Amino acid sequence: MNVVTAEDLPALAAGAHLLASGAGRTDIDGVLHWLSALLCERGPVPLVQPDELPSDTACAAIGLVGSVTALAELPMVGDEPLQVVRALEARLDTALGAVAALDAATVNALTPVAAAASLGLPLVDCDGMGRVFPLIHQTSFALAGRSLTPLAAVGATADTLVLDATPERAERLLRAAVNVSGGWMLTAIYPTTAARLLSAGIVGSISRAIAVGRALLDAADIDDLTMRLKALVDSRVLGTGRIVELEHRTRPADIGHPAYPSSIVVRSRAEPVRSIRLEAQNELLLALIDGAVAAAVPDIICLLDPQDGHVLDVESVTLGTEVQVVVVPAADVWYTPQGLDLVGPRSFGFPLDGTGRQGGLKPMFRRDSRPRHDLTDAVADLDQGGKAEVE
Amino acid sequence: MSASRLPEVLTVAELVHHGPLAKARMLADVILDAQVRYVVLVSDLDQTLSCLPNTAIVLHTPAAQGGWALESALRAAWERTAACVIAPADSTVSRSTIALAERLNVPLFVVEGDPAQHALELAAAVASPGAARARLAARCASAISEQTSLRGIVGVINTELPGTSVALVGEDGQVLAGKAAAVGGQVRVPVLTLDGKPWAHLVARLSAPSPSGTETVTTILRLARAPLAASAAKPKLALARRGAQERLLLEALLSGRPDADTEQAARVLGWRFDERNVAVVLRPVVGAPLIDPDIATAGVLAGWGEVFADRPLVPHGDGWVSWWSGPELTANQVMSRLRRRLPRIRCAVPLSAGLGEPAEGVHGLRRSMHEAALACAVAIRSGAGAVESFDALGPRVVLASLRNDELITAAQTALAVLLDSADGDVLIRTLCAVLDCGGSTTQAAARLGVHRNTISGRLDRIRARGIAFDDPDRRLALHVACFVLLGERAAAPPDGSSGGAA
Repeated sequence: MNVVTAEDLPALAAGAHLLASGAGRTDIDGVLHWLSALLCERGPVPLVQPDELPSDTACAAIGLVGSVTALAELPMVGDEPLQVVRALEARLDTALGAVAALDAATVNALTPVAAAASLGLPLVDCDGMGRVFPLIHQTSFALAGRSLTPLAAVGATADTLVLDATPERAERLLRAAVNVSGGWMLTAIYPTTAARLLSAGIVGSISRAIAVGRALLDAADIDDLTMRLKALVDSRVLGTGRIVELEHRTRPADIGHPAYPSSIVVRSRAEPVRSIRLEAQNELLLALIDGAVAAAVPDIICLLDPQDGHVLDVESVTLGTEVQVVVVPAADVWYTPQGLDLVGPRSFGFPLDGTGRQGGLKPMFRRDSRPRHDLTDAVADLDQGGKAEVE
Repeated sequence: MSASRLPEVLTVAELVHHGPLAKARMLADVILDAQVRYVVLVSDLDQTLSCLPNTAIVLHTPAAQGGWALESALRAAWERTAACVIAPADSTVSRSTIALAERLNVPLFVVEGDPAQHALELAAAVASPGAARARLAARCASAISEQTSLRGIVGVINTELPGTSVALVGEDGQVLAGKAAAVGGQVRVPVLTLDGKPWAHLVARLSAPSPSGTETVTTILRLARAPLAASAAKPKLALARRGAQERLLLEALLSGRPDADTEQAARVLGWRFDERNVAVVLRPVVGAPLIDPDIATAGVLAGWGEVFADRPLVPHGDGWVSWWSGPELTANQVMSRLRRRLPRIRCAVPLSAGLGEPAEGVHGLRRSMHEAALACAVAIRSGAGAVESFDALGPRVVLASLRNDELITAAQTALAVLLDSADGDVLIRTLCAVLDCGGSTTQAAARLGVHRNTISGRLDRIRARGIAFDDPDRRLALHVACFVLLGERAAAPPDGSSGGAA
């Protein structure tokens, strides 16, 4: 049985940052310090696989909903994990035997560890996203038919909410509650059993985040990091260059999604010079190279500092920033037709069909006409470009 | 929304210039020679992937929201060799999108209003290229009619014909107006003068040649022929003004460094001077009646025009200059033509002519003209119709260039003792011949056709009147005086035979 110790926390946080696909990690140092102290006090948290638990062990996913920026301004007092789990247990009339992660990315890779430490429960090595998505029903749990309700939520002012509603209604009700309770709420959600977590969860996501984080922290340079990430998560480099355009509200926003759309254009350094356009809405969702789709959600599109390999947020980059655009494949479940329906490009307002799976270089378009320039040429170019970056 | 396949198709440039795309704003600076066979209205980006080559892709608003959508459409257009991408005005177009369009060489336009309506208009134009071209021809005709100069007319055609270079080229291959890039182009339309003589060609080079495009251009060039001929003839119609203007132009041309505009203006008048030139100077003969210079010029130009047609004749100094030009031209060829035709010129001024040596280019023409003026100074002493060449005269032209009127007075004074005698003319002619022959009485007798003793007798009479022609100090002065007096009396009949009896 593995454990999560205080020493693992920096790697977990770093890996969770990469898997956030460009979403901000705005000041989670406070959470890290608190959690570190908690683990020092309570000892390491057991990290178990779902099949290591009795199959009927009651479990729930723990995750923060709302703004991480608001969390930095209005931090947790420390008893929120306990409160939220107790509230859900009271609703379920069952004590939880373990907790899992809603999404092992951003601060939500840390909150389940805090909950497990606070409650003295094991942490199941799985989550519902394998990355981060903006909506709480965009999970593999939901895809497997698990209901996200009843759920419990605790806000910054100790408001406790227990919610029974359909998933779509629950999302909207919870967002409304988050808005009035200070910008964030810690939730205990998707109550289920260990046996169902095995089939509905994305197993191994906490370990994966820690491994990715170790690669980020230990890599000697950007080339070393590229090779480590390639070996670990089959990542690939789309290009390295300078940000030449940065615009906000560049396309209509879906009112169901938090945050506004924005666009980043990177002019690649290598010859031939290419234009890498990144479309973001909190997370990076779409990458086009010279107009050709190179990666699309659910692919995890990330920005790295080409000098030191640090993960860059969409919100922290400015015009002129040097970036390396890296794509990490998401969990397999997201490339199934049902997965793409839930989190594919169309669900984010990009009317694109097909799949950007495994590098997104496979054409997202049907090729049913008589093209003179075949997309495969572009794919070959990009492959060469990607390798050149690695070497 | 697709048009049926057409044997003749419009290009993007044509649609921009005289089609519905005239209302569109072009964002990318690319070549517009792609043909447009089809028009497709795209509301879902997937539709761009099934479009055929040479399609104008009109994006409906749902398919053009965000720079990424435009860039995707541009990419798909490039992959499918589509003709162009047209986006609605409310789409987001950033600099990087424009840069991508330019890099992929895909024309990108933005249109105001309903894209669907625009797509319909485009489809109508693409389906009926003939109507679009007829509109172009009509517009060109209207624009040409507003121009009066050669440059203006050719400039209008260049402006109105997208992707086509047009030039007016003279018979000798010189570009008279328009773009030099057009020389050697696919379309060539002869332009005649108003009296039907070959004058120049309108040539056009199409960047994207097609049979229909060539036909359209040919039609428009033909429309321009008559205005061009009229424009070219206009300067020639005002004879008096023409003389003054051409005189100025010639002086500018013969100045040290004529500029390009001067040379161009000369070429427009039909003047040729790039090959071997033989200059001709005409002047009234000595003793011709004095006529007002303007009237004389008008008469001489009119008379010259009747005999030598378009050969230039330009007032210059106290005469008129012309020149012949050709690669193998000799002075003798010009001499024979002049001798044959000069007497046919009907005007109130009796004319003589002098010829220069053949010489290359403008600089050569200048030299040849100077030589011709010297030869003409000799010729005018020989009466109407006389033609002298610089080559044949040799150094004698030096004497011809001396101030005649003053010299005559001096000579008449110096040789008054001879002139006053009854046989003065004979004595002066004899004295001149002897001096010409270096003092040899035998050669002088042969030249004058008299016996040597006759010469000796005349010389005795000359000495008897106090003319010491043997004195080396006086010989040259006497020789010049004789030459001048003989020139002045050139019109008088020779007196060789009578001299023989003395």
